[in-house]
Amino acid sequence: MPSASSNPSLRSVRLERTFGDGATRRVALSGVSFDLYPGRLALLMGPSGSGKSTLLAILSGLLNPDAGQVLAWEDGAYVDVWALPQAEREAFRLRQVGFIFQGYNLFPAFTAAQQLEIVLRWGQNASASDARRRSHAVLEGLGLGGQMNKKPAQLSGGEKQRVAIGRALVKGSKFIFADEPTSALDWENGKLVLELLRREAHDHGATIFVVSHDSRMLPYTDIAYHLEDGHLSEMSRSSLGELP
Amino acid sequence: MTYALQTLMHERSRYAAGVGAVLFSAVLIALQVGLLLGLFELTSIPIDHSSADLWVGGNHVESVDLGRPIPISFVGRLNKPGVQSPELYYLNFGNFTKPSGGYSLCTVVGTGLTAGHAGCPDVLTAEHRQLLTESLTICVDQSDLGKLGLVGVGDHAKVNGKEVRLVGVVTGIKSLAAPWLICSQTTARELLSVVNPAYTDHVTYLLARCDDPGRAKATAKELTAEYPEMSVYTADEFSTKSRMFWLLRTKAGVALGYAALLGLLVGAVITAQTLYAATMASAKEFATLLALGIPRRKIYGLVMAQSFWVGLVGVTLAYPMVHLLGYLAEQAGGRVVIRWEVLLGAAGLTMTSSLLAGLVALRSVKNIEPMSLLR
Repeated sequence: MPSASSNPSLRSVRLERTFGDGATRRVALSGVSFDLYPGRLALLMGPSGSGKSTLLAILSGLLNPDAGQVLAWEDGAYVDVWALPQAEREAFRLRQVGFIFQGYNLFPAFTAAQQLEIVLRWGQNASASDARRRSHAVLEGLGLGGQMNKKPAQLSGGEKQRVAIGRALVKGSKFIFADEPTSALDWENGKLVLELLRREAHDHGATIFVVSHDSRMLPYTDIAYHLEDGHLSEMSRSSLGELP
Repeated sequence: MTYALQTLMHERSRYAAGVGAVLFSAVLIALQVGLLLGLFELTSIPIDHSSADLWVGGNHVESVDLGRPIPISFVGRLNKPGVQSPELYYLNFGNFTKPSGGYSLCTVVGTGLTAGHAGCPDVLTAEHRQLLTESLTICVDQSDLGKLGLVGVGDHAKVNGKEVRLVGVVTGIKSLAAPWLICSQTTARELLSVVNPAYTDHVTYLLARCDDPGRAKATAKELTAEYPEMSVYTADEFSTKSRMFWLLRTKAGVALGYAALLGLLVGAVITAQTLYAATMASAKEFATLLALGIPRRKIYGLVMAQSFWVGLVGVTLAYPMVHLLGYLAEQAGGRVVIRWEVLLGAAGLTMTSSLLAGLVALRSVKNIEPMSLLR
């Protein structure tokens, strides 16, 4: 694990976000500031409706905050993600951001390898052979070497989620955002997914931000936060527990 | 294989409605045009069953059944190298009195009757030709017997008040409105001069063969330039001109256009709906790609590629279907003319409508937002 003294890779600065008006007004984020570091797996917990997904969406450049900044470290300087024009923000996501969602969202017609290849072909204009080579390498690394040519209907839930992880990793993203990535899996497969994410952080220096309400994840994380009533707090190290 | 085609193959049942709609449009257009061409083929029957290369008539003849008398002396104008000896051809409407009383319009067609005559219809047997040399005898098509109130050979009726005798019944010269009465030149002259005395020294057409049929077009052009008061056509030109005249005159073309447009619209709406639904069904997958920063135009491209493939598969399936339905129509007594120009036109129109349907379906892509995955 890298030392905490290295530069934060993603800084959130006094983020504000509310939904609705008048009586239905709800504060999701109230002055949320914290830093994420490269090479760490960070977990965000909190009750349902506490704004966890909202924070993830703002940090990843999908949902604009009402106020505050998201600063991402790129090429030796911080980029203010929400000060970028939309096209440049999308280009930033294409270069740096990977997503894993609760649903696998895999195209039923494509093989496991093609789910990754399409990202490289459409996102980076990679040649067919280059996209295939890189996709295969990522899937091998995720233990899916034998499943490359299988379509989603032929894969188990755990395998599908690993393909979805591969899709998030294949373009070399520095920031990986995962929203409830294990909620549709049994705990054995859930653990495998967490180990893969942890390995991506520790071995490749990625910044991983996971949103979940499953406290069994705590021992697998490097740092954990709790969000409630719009306020964020860091959970104590002792609450994380030890890996089994 | 492209991603679009792969999706189409994998989700065949989902896209079947779109493919079916394109198929329906293409078959509808091709068959409608084919049936209409088949119907109006009947207007050029005397030309299509003759072996003349050149047809010479009066000025501005619009259709073979609308010829006006020209002087027989025009024969001398065809005395040109490469043009064989011209023959006289009579063709005009007559008033047919049925044996049981009652009237019908008919078309008297008088031609030379030896097998070597260019105007002699190829449906006549040697026996028919022999019998028609008798004065005031006629042959008609089997399908026109009822229209003329005739039962069979030996029946008597009147044309322009003169009694005629039916000596032969043939097939292949069915009429659209006025049954063709095939007879000798002498009989035709006698029947037609009753109402138009000009027919004593006039004729409706002069027919000629060319030594080199490939030169017919050029010869027709030369003769028209030399004698502007005559119309000179090759057999193919005159046949097409006759059909087109009636197609446009009867406004059948307009009716066809409306029906075809309706077919296209129905096809396009169903295709658009199919593509829209298919795109929405993959909305989460597309939203994931958008979240990863994949440009939205790539997804637009995929939908357009799908509309292309839906169109192509539909048009390809339409091809054998048109031939099959055309064959069945022929078996049922109809006539369907399937020409490559028509097939190509129908394919082009339906492909275009399919791509337009794709453009309409792009609305669905506009509505896809990655944020929807986090709610």
